[in-house]
Amino acid sequence: MNSMILSYITFVYFFSFLFYLLMMVMGKETLGRAGTWITAIGIAAHTFAIALRWVESYRLGFGHAPFSNLYESLIFFSWTIILLYLIMEWRTKNRTPGVFVTPLAFLAMAYASFSPDIKSQIQPLVPALKSNWLITHVITCFFGYAAFGLSFGLSLMYMIKRLEKGNKGRSFIRFLPGKGILDELNYQMVVIGFLMLTLGIITGSVWAHSAWGSYWSWDPKETWSLITWLVYASVLHSRMVRGWRGKRIAVLSVIGFACVLFTYFGVNYLAGLHSYAKT
Amino acid sequence: MKNQSKQGNPIWGFLCSVRLTITLLILLALASIVGTLIPQKEGAVEFAGSLSPETAKLLFSLGLFDMYHTLWFRFLVAFLALNLISCSVNRLPGTWRLFKASPRPDREKPFKDLPPDRSFLASGAQNEVFGALEERLGKRWGRIRKKETQGRYYFYGEKGRFSLFGFYLVHLSVLFILAGSIVGSLSGFEGFVNIVEGEQVDSIALRNRMGRMELGFEVRCDDFEHKTYPNGMPSQYRSRLTFLENGVPVYKADALVNHPVQYRGITFYQSSYGTVAGDRARLRIERTGSPKETTILEVKVGEAVPLPGKGGNFKVIRTEADFRGMLGPAVQIAVYPAEEKDGELRIWLFKNRRLLQERFPPQMLKAKALNPSAFPPYTFHLEALESKHYTGLQVNRDPGVPLVWTGCFLMVAGFIVTFFTSHRRFWVRAVAVQGGVRVDVSGTSSKNPVGLERELDHLVASLRDKFQARERKNAS
Ligand code: HEM
Repeated sequence: MNSMILSYITFVYFFSFLFYLLMMVMGKETLGRAGTWITAIGIAAHTFAIALRWVESYRLGFGHAPFSNLYESLIFFSWTIILLYLIMEWRTKNRTPGVFVTPLAFLAMAYASFSPDIKSQIQPLVPALKSNWLITHVITCFFGYAAFGLSFGLSLMYMIKRLEKGNKGRSFIRFLPGKGILDELNYQMVVIGFLMLTLGIITGSVWAHSAWGSYWSWDPKETWSLITWLVYASVLHSRMVRGWRGKRIAVLSVIGFACVLFTYFGVNYLAGLHSYAKT
Repeated sequence: MKNQSKQGNPIWGFLCSVRLTITLLILLALASIVGTLIPQKEGAVEFAGSLSPETAKLLFSLGLFDMYHTLWFRFLVAFLALNLISCSVNRLPGTWRLFKASPRPDREKPFKDLPPDRSFLASGAQNEVFGALEERLGKRWGRIRKKETQGRYYFYGEKGRFSLFGFYLVHLSVLFILAGSIVGSLSGFEGFVNIVEGEQVDSIALRNRMGRMELGFEVRCDDFEHKTYPNGMPSQYRSRLTFLENGVPVYKADALVNHPVQYRGITFYQSSYGTVAGDRARLRIERTGSPKETTILEVKVGEAVPLPGKGGNFKVIRTEADFRGMLGPAVQIAVYPAEEKDGELRIWLFKNRRLLQERFPPQMLKAKALNPSAFPPYTFHLEALESKHYTGLQVNRDPGVPLVWTGCFLMVAGFIVTFFTSHRRFWVRAVAVQGGVRVDVSGTSSKNPVGLERELDHLVASLRDKFQARERKNAS
């Protein structure tokens, strides 16, 4: 039931993307407003479906928060991206990032709902996953990933904006916010992501310490999250201390997001403790 | 970094540079990538086997099969710590001066090029406006400094001074975590032990090091419990443990996954389980002849039992809960014929004889050691073998953990201070002009200029509202 609703939401986010795109191409703000409404309806249904899944897990007799396998994590990832995006849209009153951000949510939902490798059944928790730290770990990590996803979108926008020459640019490009604003927003997203990733690594360590007796065991997923952390720490130092701005930061943020994706998906091809993602 | 190094010493300058920091961070990241691509430790053996001998030798000499513990990897981390310390030492005096500084209130520079919306006109006498401002601003910033020169009134206030120390907090936290990991590796240990239900141990096997370690007390496993969900997935593992000092029970606790037990600074984690054979077996013995005879015997390991019909004795000498990890329960018996000179005969008996028949050729099963009818006229069958669980416990001591958690806490606190607070200074000037008093508001911030602008807008608006309200009150 919940997974059926969730698979429909994939299309809702696809429509959000279409409307934001049309807004930029045709230069009509009204289309963007429709995009916002569709996204808002999408996230309302999305929230409802996650809550429903939670309730259903109790009805099945092994109630647990819906953050326990790859399917549930993808659903939550896309939820956090949309939530953060809507907050950003509301604070900045600018809809153009929607074009670059909604596809991430849409792709995550599509992958979760339609990939044959991913099981959407609710499953009971194996003993190692029975921990309150699991919930904080997942929430903090995924808000971090989502903020880095937004930073990735903003970096792409920055690079596209750089192509603008004088005022002869295409309307699509002219619609984008100024480079200074993009750079500032990108920085703010990196800061939020970095804070959340740090919390995610810490809660993960606390959890590993209580489950396996060691807060750090150089398992590939742990190591990749550390790599991601190191990359974003370099981004922050380059910017805050050496004063780098603009293109360099945008490029580094894209590299950082590639590390995030590898931490999330790529690591499953390496052996390790975080094997839940293989289910 | 601007080069503020003492006496321009180039080595010090290098140690303090952020360029070095970024280089080291990237090097560590790259090394870690290599570490995740090449299987480490246990996995390395198999992987090394798939390489050409030269490559394997090269990787081995670089320590790439246990990279995170090599000297060069530790050197990188130590270098990072040194960089962090030098840079903090280098900046501390400057930060301290900033922290201690209290700028004069009557500065004119902040008001240069002041945008018009940072000023407003308040009606009333200058000293009256001044008093009202003092009261408002005092409420807002706590301590304010004021001054009057040449008929102009000035205020200075600030907030978030501690924000200057945010990044020291973050950097200190990194040092805490590193210190914690060093303490852990120098004075902690990692080990494991298997305890059969009902038995007790007083030592454990160490990982990474050879040999066993005395605990100085005993641990008994009273019971191991293993629950599954209806679909067969494991749901809970629980070991009921008793800790004994010189044989006297002093503490009882249950170890579950995610809920370790601590005793005398040593932590016991539920990590695995298994079964071992107990020391009781039930055998069925058939004796051919007339009449055919079947006897069922409960036997204990090591006890000699007479064979039915006085054909001799036998005893169970070995038991296996799962023979070779796949053939199921098995016992080995030794049969002693009534006539001494025939010596002893050893036979393995299997509970699942069929498994054996599927796996091995019939000729092999005729061998004496595997043939249950090797001692005519008897045929032996293993009916049941008592089995016991054992619990596998990870046993660790890590005195560095509190340092690590302190570091984590400081890091998060430091981030919040660094990223979400800033040191903001404000100057307010009141000048008598025609028609009242012009109030100018200005400020600087150590970071987040957008936030500062917002706060200044807010400040001006609230002061203006205040004065307008006063005017209305005075007018009425
Ligand atoms: C992991 C090891 C780290 C090292 C080796 C390191 C090193 C450094 C160095 C050398 C500086 C330059 C100080 C100067 O300009 O003299 C610096 C500045 C700074 N670092 Fe780090 N850092 C590390 C981690 C972090 C982290 C995780 C953060 C996260 C917030 C951080 C935040 C800052 C900030 C905000 C500054 C700028 C201070 C300022 O200019 O006001 N550092 N760091």
